[in-house]
Amino acid sequence: MRSMSRRVLLAAALLGSSLVGAQAQDKTPVKLGAIEILTGPNSRYGIAIQRGFDLALADINKAGGVLGGRPLAIAYEDSAGAKEQALNAARKLIGRDKVPLILGPTLSNEMFAAGPVANERKVPIVGTSTTANGITAIGPYVFRTSLPEADVIPVTLKTAQAKFGIKRVAVMYGNDDAFTKSAYDVMKASLEKLGIETLTTETFGSKDSDFSAQLTKIKALNPDAIVLSALVEAASGIELQARQLGIPEKVFFIGGNGLNSPKLGDIAGKSADGTLVGSPWFIGKPDAANQAFVNAFKDKYGGDLPDQFAAQAYDTLFIVAKAIDAAGAPDSEKIKDALIKVKHTGVMGPFSFSDSRDPADTSGVVVLVMKGGKFQLLQ
Amino acid sequence: MLEQQLVNGVVLGATYALFAIGFTLMFGVMGVINLTYGVYFALGAFAALWSTQGLGLPIWAALPVGALVAGVLAVVLDTLLLTRLRRAKAPELASLMVTLGATLFLYAGMAAALGTEIRRFPAEVFSGGAYSLGDVRVGTTQLLILAAAIVLMLALLALVRGSRLGLAIRAVAENPDAASLMGINGALMLRVVSFLSGAIGGAAGVLVGLNFNAIQPFMGEHMMLRGFAVIIVGGLGDLRGALLAGLLVGLAEVLTAAYLSSTLKDMIAFALLVATLWFRPLGLFGRAAAKRA
Amino acid sequence: MWEAFDDFYWTYQSLIHAIGVNGILALSVYVVLAVGQLSLGQAAFMGVGAYTGALLTVKFGVPFGVSILAAALVPALLALVVGGPTLRLTGVYLAIATIGLGEITRIVFLNWDYAGGALGLSNIPERGGVAAIYGTLAVLLVGLTLVARSRVGRAMEAMREDEAAAGVMGVNLPRYRLVALVVSSAMAGVAGCLSAHVSSFIGPNEYGFEAAVTILSYALLGGIGSPLAPVLGSTILTLLPEVLRPLADFRLMVNGLIIVLAVLFMPRGILPWRIARTG
Repeated sequence: MRSMSRRVLLAAALLGSSLVGAQAQDKTPVKLGAIEILTGPNSRYGIAIQRGFDLALADINKAGGVLGGRPLAIAYEDSAGAKEQALNAARKLIGRDKVPLILGPTLSNEMFAAGPVANERKVPIVGTSTTANGITAIGPYVFRTSLPEADVIPVTLKTAQAKFGIKRVAVMYGNDDAFTKSAYDVMKASLEKLGIETLTTETFGSKDSDFSAQLTKIKALNPDAIVLSALVEAASGIELQARQLGIPEKVFFIGGNGLNSPKLGDIAGKSADGTLVGSPWFIGKPDAANQAFVNAFKDKYGGDLPDQFAAQAYDTLFIVAKAIDAAGAPDSEKIKDALIKVKHTGVMGPFSFSDSRDPADTSGVVVLVMKGGKFQLLQ
Repeated sequence: MLEQQLVNGVVLGATYALFAIGFTLMFGVMGVINLTYGVYFALGAFAALWSTQGLGLPIWAALPVGALVAGVLAVVLDTLLLTRLRRAKAPELASLMVTLGATLFLYAGMAAALGTEIRRFPAEVFSGGAYSLGDVRVGTTQLLILAAAIVLMLALLALVRGSRLGLAIRAVAENPDAASLMGINGALMLRVVSFLSGAIGGAAGVLVGLNFNAIQPFMGEHMMLRGFAVIIVGGLGDLRGALLAGLLVGLAEVLTAAYLSSTLKDMIAFALLVATLWFRPLGLFGRAAAKRA
Repeated sequence: MWEAFDDFYWTYQSLIHAIGVNGILALSVYVVLAVGQLSLGQAAFMGVGAYTGALLTVKFGVPFGVSILAAALVPALLALVVGGPTLRLTGVYLAIATIGLGEITRIVFLNWDYAGGALGLSNIPERGGVAAIYGTLAVLLVGLTLVARSRVGRAMEAMREDEAAAGVMGVNLPRYRLVALVVSSAMAGVAGCLSAHVSSFIGPNEYGFEAAVTILSYALLGGIGSPLAPVLGSTILTLLPEVLRPLADFRLMVNGLIIVLAVLFMPRGILPWRIARTG
């Protein structure tokens, strides 16, 4: 399968060069590695990312590839969401396939396992969906293009305070998941800083389906809003059950990144109305680049809509391609030095890396509100 | 608030009880911990989902469809996986292992075929209204779960304890060889039991899917862990024990979250499990079909 | 040439570690199975060992030997508390009790902020490595083979073939079971400690039910005729996901199918030969 796609790419490259009649030039593909969750319960994240990459890959190669005509290619490795497999995949991509750069892995946990290995071998590794604290502290070869929760959640809470005057909130978070726990840590710090009173803090397991006990307790405390750190599955269930238990609609939810998914509206429907989330990207962003991306995505994937993971992946590949061009060769060290200087304006807005290899620009963060099952910009 | 929490606990407990009663029946008669039980739970939910979305059936018709599909699968899997081992009188470990392999296979297959995103029944299938009594709210889905759980459990108890078929099943559970000497078709009884427990698992999946709106291939995996705790607390193979233990675990979880701490909620079922093993190893009633070694 | 070998070793280093660690885990579950019992708590014991060892190393900087020792003792104590009451009952009870233990330990680690909570423990220094892992495996293999060939081994075999008869013949069933469970949990704890010190990061969700099931499947695939068999099983099952990588989506299905077929058509495992007796 992989060798076939390489052959196809090679054939396409040869065909392209013979058509334009260019002189003898290096047309071998530049192959990057990507580690994503392509199977198992969390595969929807990895698959959204893969789709974003593939769409960008097609666009980049249609426009002539990198390094003056060499096509870009991606070798995907499945981590199945397990850190051992992410680790093995990183070692295989670096040691055997000798890729100059790795995209991914999907989860922060996997990055904590794979990042040190890439860093040890001085191969840049670029996370597109890892939002936990401490990711880029792993080492100088570890980058991420996803905004950490610490940049997004304070914006959301501040907006909610300014706009709706919330004073007393209840907090709920999934305590068995690194992603939702680290978002909760940010929420807690941010609530304290803003002087918002926390009436109670309730936890749940990410695979739970019954939240009635916690919600009944929260209902009795009568908060202004419920601050929620959860993956979308649990979040949908919580919002539905909150309304079933009679928590009034004026008590709205304020979510972390996990709630930022069209799935929330699909599952929870009207119960999710009023939910606020902060997001580095929004499907309805009106600029031409974003609309072109959304339409191209829909065309390519049978009407499926992109989510932020696909958008982040899409931009990331362009950023990496620019770095490869600036480096002048598919060389890990040069790409690493070039990455930190890349400036790119993509579907998410303007992007550059900070000195600590996190996204420097948080101006693209928007606050969204759920209305009629769909997120829209908070006016 | 206490009244509402009691309602929450009873409804949660009823889902545990319903799930566990099929699970413990399977164990009680066949003496095998059949890990594929979690698959029937998810499959029942998906079959019902498909019949409401694809065929436009109302929920009262989709529920039996879910149960039927799950029950048939249970019979097929039992025949494919366990007949051979039973004939060879293989140790219970081998049976456990083969159902484990099948479970891995089926979960992965379902994930590949159905996707891993959660789904819910179309909102119009069941109007999610609620009744208020003072401060207490009971949803119509919750009432449906309670009613269905009670009816199914009573029907099963009546069948096993009060009918000739039930007598034959109990005879097979007690001693398959003696039962076959007395002219009971043991293989048929095992199929009947497989079907019944699969169907109960499937029905439980439909109801839980309806109440909690979270249908996905792995939904049974989580429930299985609770199921283990419930069937031990109730006494392995003890139907009435499973019923009471389900309610007990549900109430204990809800009250723990309400008055102690929600971080302890997930632990309570297993704490009860360990306590049972220390103090009442044969379950609540202490007369389970368990064999002492 | 050397460079190619170096690259090869580097690429497959984690896999080489995993094969050794999983071999020890397979032996740990073998010890329980060998007396006719079933434990689904090996992952929990491994996790307790991993956390004990890693915390001692990271927070107190104790020598690696002390970490290993503690990683063997703490799970053994836990095994006494949880397994103790089930040893007079049939094997199923121990199986379910250990499932409960697995969930309880997972939840404790999740909520234990000192140990990193849901975020896990990272930056565990590398200790031991290949030498310690394979050294431990070799010692255990030799030791268990000697036990299997002795009188004790014969009593154990009698227990798993026919418990009642073994009991009548004077085998002290509960005592054998207890010793087997305690030894087995200590072995799993050591395996956890060794693996924590080569993987730099451990998290509370790594030692759940799924991991327990995987460990059990090592021994069931290999068989329990001799200590070598479960190690063979674990090696195959550790390599399988890597070998089956190109199958992507179908990998987990194939994995399950292999277990089903192995149990149905090779009920004594792929290495069915029994060990020769001396005692």
